[in-house]
Amino acid sequence: MRSRTSAALLPVARYTLLIVLAMIILAPIVWVAISSVRPPEEIFLYSPKLSWRTFIPETFTWENYRLLWESDFPRAVTNTLFVAFATVALGILICSAAGFAFAVFDFPFKNTLFVVVIITFIMPFEAIVVPLYVMVRDLNWNDTYFALVMPEVASGFIIFLFRQFFTKVSKELFEAARVDGASWWRIYWDVAMPLSWPTVVAAALMMFIHQWDAFFWPLVAATSPDLTMVQVAIARYLQFEQADFGRLFAAMTVASFLAILPFMALQRYYIRTIVDSGIK
Amino acid sequence: MRINPAYYFLAPAFMGLSVFKIFPIGVAIVGSFYGTTLIGESVFRGLDNYLSIFGDLDLLRSFGITLLFNLIANPLQIVLSLMVALLVFRPGPLIGLFRSVLFLPVTLSLVLTALIWNLLLDPYLGPVNAVLDAVGIGRQGFFKDEAQALGSMVWLTTWRGVGYWMLFMLAGLYAIPESLYEAAKIDGASWWQRFRHVTLPLMRRPIAFVLVASTAINMLFFAPVYVITAGGPNGATDFVMFRIYQAAFNYIDVGRSLAMSTVMLVVVLAVAIVELWLMRSED
Repeated sequence: MRSRTSAALLPVARYTLLIVLAMIILAPIVWVAISSVRPPEEIFLYSPKLSWRTFIPETFTWENYRLLWESDFPRAVTNTLFVAFATVALGILICSAAGFAFAVFDFPFKNTLFVVVIITFIMPFEAIVVPLYVMVRDLNWNDTYFALVMPEVASGFIIFLFRQFFTKVSKELFEAARVDGASWWRIYWDVAMPLSWPTVVAAALMMFIHQWDAFFWPLVAATSPDLTMVQVAIARYLQFEQADFGRLFAAMTVASFLAILPFMALQRYYIRTIVDSGIK
Repeated sequence: MRINPAYYFLAPAFMGLSVFKIFPIGVAIVGSFYGTTLIGESVFRGLDNYLSIFGDLDLLRSFGITLLFNLIANPLQIVLSLMVALLVFRPGPLIGLFRSVLFLPVTLSLVLTALIWNLLLDPYLGPVNAVLDAVGIGRQGFFKDEAQALGSMVWLTTWRGVGYWMLFMLAGLYAIPESLYEAAKIDGASWWQRFRHVTLPLMRRPIAFVLVASTAINMLFFAPVYVITAGGPNGATDFVMFRIYQAAFNYIDVGRSLAMSTVMLVVVLAVAIVELWLMRSED
């Protein structure tokens, strides 16, 4: 009897918890989006004292977005999109090739090289930001798109994901193509890559979001206004233009949604790739 | 002699990793023995940078703050991400939607997360304080309060991190054979006993992974400190990574900054090894 009551209560507890958690996650994002369509002077007008106006706009306006459009923010968005797409294109190519090599071939130092891959993926990027900056500056690469793109192209994690995927593809498939006289390049490009498209989608999404969200590296490596990336631009809005909350909220909304939308569309590949990768 | 085709496939990626991930470690180590004079000349300083780091009480306090932050934030995120993974593991109506929502903060940058929570938790303007005031708890200082700033940082990183770690916990949960749960059920094991004796032991590897990965990230916690507190109030959020940044870009003492980077690389590596050793399988 007791266990039947608790069995009936369990879904109620489960969904109550989930609803509370979902609200904790969504409320801040929704608040930013709502605030971005308020006139700048209204954003914090009602927030010190709780009332319905704290959360619901009195006046609705696109003015913040119009001002944002006329600022240097579109340039930052274009810069970041360019950097992100370049990183994705190059990164997918070279990381999938390396993953393919680890999965398909036997060669001397294979394990040693794989340990190097794992170390680079555990090693936090922040730890090498200053030495990387010193290196890039000494080579006169700072303030270039090259400096923003190249350090993120070879990624230990993405190599690892491709390796995990290719390891699971039947070896006979590759050997059959080999018997037919195909070169390894053909096998990689025409057999292995088309099969791996869910991993390609997941890896592209990860690399895109990684660059879209990049902050520390662009902050130090690309200080020229022409190369400003989105996150750095937003952090500057807060520091230098404290009063301009309208533009800040519009910029935060744009920055959030340009990462959230592709993610929402493609997240099942992201989840599946990590779940299947065997990090467990 | 024929070159193994594997090396052609590996070459581009390993060039990238060597130049941009491995070589900077060498730059950090070599540079940590040098200093810069006032006129910008590079001079060999031997171990001076290291001696000054370990003799600097303020910096040791920074290490303490960074360590304390990790000791709270990482176990907290592990427990919460496992709990949340268990909530969305079994199928059910709308469970997929909840899973997406919980995972959503992964797409938000640490900078945006920091900006949003800084505004939400503002002592004067923040709506969170309006709510706390209305329900009678009273206004809190959060990031502006010396006693609450570090805790607010823990909240921020947890809010953003749990959904991501949940994914790795889910991967672990999916790998546990259903038959083990059924066998435990037939033996009359309660929900807690099944969790304690079936789930937990088999979740050792994902938990170890999340522990190591979250430590690697949180030992070098930076962006929110830069954006929100700049180390304050009164040094309460004086994280090591912020000092490394300041040493290089505010005080232009690159040698010292590189020495600190080297120490942190060693510390992160050592902590990861200790954690993996602690989480090793008992069999």
